[in-house]
Amino acid sequence: MVRVQGVHKAFGDLEVPRGVDLEISEAEVLCLIGPSGGGKSTLLRCVNLLVRPDRGEVYLGDVRITDPAIRPEWVRQQIGMVFQSFNLITHLTALKNVMLGLRKVKKVPPSEARARAVHELERVGLRDKLNAYPAQLSGGQQQRVAIARALAMDPKVMLFDEPTSALDPEYIREVLDVMTALAKEGMTMLVVTHEMGFAKNVADAVAFMDEGQILEIGTPEEMFDRPKHERIRGFVGKILG
Amino acid sequence: MLVVLGLLGWYNLAYAEQIAPSLLKGLAVTVGLVLIVIPIGFAAGLLVGWSRTSRRWIARAVASTYVEFFRGMPPIVLIFFSWLIATRVLQFYFRVDDPFAIAFTFGVLALGFHSAGYQAEIVRAGILSVPTGQLEAADALGLTPRQRMFHVILPQAFRISLPALSNEFASVIKDTSLISQISAFELTLVGITLVNNATRIDLNLVFIVWAQVALLYLLLTVVATRILRGVENLFKVPGLEAAQP
Repeated sequence: MVRVQGVHKAFGDLEVPRGVDLEISEAEVLCLIGPSGGGKSTLLRCVNLLVRPDRGEVYLGDVRITDPAIRPEWVRQQIGMVFQSFNLITHLTALKNVMLGLRKVKKVPPSEARARAVHELERVGLRDKLNAYPAQLSGGQQQRVAIARALAMDPKVMLFDEPTSALDPEYIREVLDVMTALAKEGMTMLVVTHEMGFAKNVADAVAFMDEGQILEIGTPEEMFDRPKHERIRGFVGKILG
Repeated sequence: MLVVLGLLGWYNLAYAEQIAPSLLKGLAVTVGLVLIVIPIGFAAGLLVGWSRTSRRWIARAVASTYVEFFRGMPPIVLIFFSWLIATRVLQFYFRVDDPFAIAFTFGVLALGFHSAGYQAEIVRAGILSVPTGQLEAADALGLTPRQRMFHVILPQAFRISLPALSNEFASVIKDTSLISQISAFELTLVGITLVNNATRIDLNLVFIVWAQVALLYLLLTVVATRILRGVENLFKVPGLEAAQP
């Protein structure tokens, strides 16, 4: 579904990622773990071209989306993204946030877009918050609206960039529950996370990324119970305590 | 208050009443000027302010030059030049029919463009104050840069800019008094004319004329500020008004 090939991106002297290969098949959940500054978020952003790689290619299905002739808007409307800081549009209600892409990008008629948005918000348990503004919602609620907003576009792949890192502990569960349900429904997901429990229980594969490169990739069992690299053992141990 | 002063014999109410109709006519012209200058200033200011945040260097360069030029020019000088161009250049070389009407038009445009220089900076600050996360979210949804501007950035930038814009509008109202210098009969020129007559009768009447003129300008700016306050309330986002009492 998504194939990343030899992707490099430099910010000044800092080069993260540097030569990353990665493949996610349909309905697979891949968790990217590793220390901060290792290039996980940048790699994620290369997949929907929020960051354009300096070198290397990214494929979505059979399409080489790093081809300069491909419109980034076309790529992005097929890939949902959920951010660490939610990034709901502050002057729009939950409902309008979910409708925005449907109306402006997909040009869905208003009544249909509204029905779809209500349905998506229902799925994430926010039927009663349709007309709330982001600032009136808790972090967990905002993040669920953000997930609904991405899902309304019928994405082929969902990208999650540390979706629970900015949340108070009491709200982490509700967001992870929504993500787990989504994974069970067969959504293709690429998740940057520090939630080792989620990676262990939900992911089909876990990749450890550090210093711009993928050090090791394997099943959750392989990665958590018997990683080949001592660094991974140390990192996981530190996070799990 | 003026009525009390009048009853005490310190304020000539009869004269105030006598000059009221002329002053009201002047006020109407001033209001008309404001209603022309503000939309011009806002439209041009939006365009220039937007260009200043453009990725294209040529757009930024043109917009920056514009702002530097108009902020560096006293509006009165721009109005004199409007008059000079209309009455000297156009009248002598092109033999236009009504140079004064043209001078007046140019003067009004000059005030609008002058205000646009300030409004451009207000708009630019508003645009830059929209957090990057909002832009990334818009991009990630697949919005084009233009849609991102109209549906995500500008509504937020406008809300943030309103208090500063209301300041600028109050300035514009008072700047229209400069048009008096090229004989448009707005509030200030009516005042000047009345004063010229009054000095022949009684010097004290001069105070009355200018007091009335000042009061009318005050009234105008207060009304304008109130209207802008109403617009601010209209654009208020629930949950985001924490900073307001």
